[in-house]
Amino acid sequence: MKHPSEEQDIIRWIDGEMNESECATFEERLKLDPALATEAQKMRALSASLRSHLPAEIRVPHADYFNTQIEVRITQMALDEARSKHAATSWSAMFQWLTQPWFALVGAAALAVLGFFLLQPASPDDSESMILSSYTPNLRVQARTYHDHDADATVLMLDGLDAMPADKHISGVNIQRSEMEPELASTTMYDEKGAAVFMISHDSLGNPLISPEG
Amino acid sequence: MKVFFPILCLLLCAASVCAQEAPPQPVLSAVKHATDGHVWGALIFATNESEKLTGGKEPEHADLPKLHERLAKVFPYKHFEVLGQHRQDIFREYESWIVPSQDLFMKIDSKGPAENEGLNLHLQVWRRHQVLVKSDAILRKDSPLFIGGPPWKNGRLIFVVYLERT
Repeated sequence: MKHPSEEQDIIRWIDGEMNESECATFEERLKLDPALATEAQKMRALSASLRSHLPAEIRVPHADYFNTQIEVRITQMALDEARSKHAATSWSAMFQWLTQPWFALVGAAALAVLGFFLLQPASPDDSESMILSSYTPNLRVQARTYHDHDADATVLMLDGLDAMPADKHISGVNIQRSEMEPELASTTMYDEKGAAVFMISHDSLGNPLISPEG
Repeated sequence: MKVFFPILCLLLCAASVCAQEAPPQPVLSAVKHATDGHVWGALIFATNESEKLTGGKEPEHADLPKLHERLAKVFPYKHFEVLGQHRQDIFREYESWIVPSQDLFMKIDSKGPAENEGLNLHLQVWRRHQVLVKSDAILRKDSPLFIGGPPWKNGRLIFVVYLERT
């Protein structure tokens, strides 16, 4: 049985891959080893026989088809790469509107609305009095309404009213009862002793008319 | 039994005669009108100068304890004086007036009951012949309405409205 290295040397010798010194050394061995020489000659004959029966060049079958398939594959790879890049671009484009100027306005408006709902005072309790609307005929007068939790009271603040004259005497009364006469469109007020204090009705313009005038 | 029945008839006849001769019921001068609630209104003078107080001795409302302290949390004054007060039914069909003073008073029109023992009202605050503010409001028990009115003597007049009952 040949040693693998001997078989390899035979092949290299047949194919002419040995340099001069290797070739001379190997041929000396062949002279000394008849079995190896016989084997080498058999393989050399076989190789020569094969070469003589095979063409020097073998054409690739369906070479055009092979080349076309390679081109198709390259094209597909190129397309795949382009698609992956496009997908990445589309993903970034999806959020590109965030950088648009109008988004700043819309965002600010949305934040304002959100802030309005988050920061506005708590909705009035159902147990509290409420001012639903107010109107001041005098345009210089401003009406502010709010609920003061410390005072536990609803406040209607009228700002801009003309001051009462300081020298005017403002007197109060203590009214405990009233009687209304729809036919006369008047109401008579009574104090805690049951005495009629005054009567309120309307003048020709519909304004309140108190008599006797204090 | 024979004796009891004639006596009973006699008593019934006597009662009938007495009833016919009874004087007619006096006609009430004022008809009781339907109401939606009852309010207390007061005109209060707020000032930092005790010498400006008028000396009014009107008592505080029993259901509004610490009214002056509560007013002080809203109005920046040290002294609060009740000048006048008025308890008033809120008529269902007619206007109602709260007149603790002829200088500042209120007209109320009922707009019906509201949730939680409340009352929907249309309010008008009048200063003599001038309406200062018109307002739609819901007045509820234990939740007074403080109205900051005109300045007076370096102080301020305040109108308080409180729903006593519905």
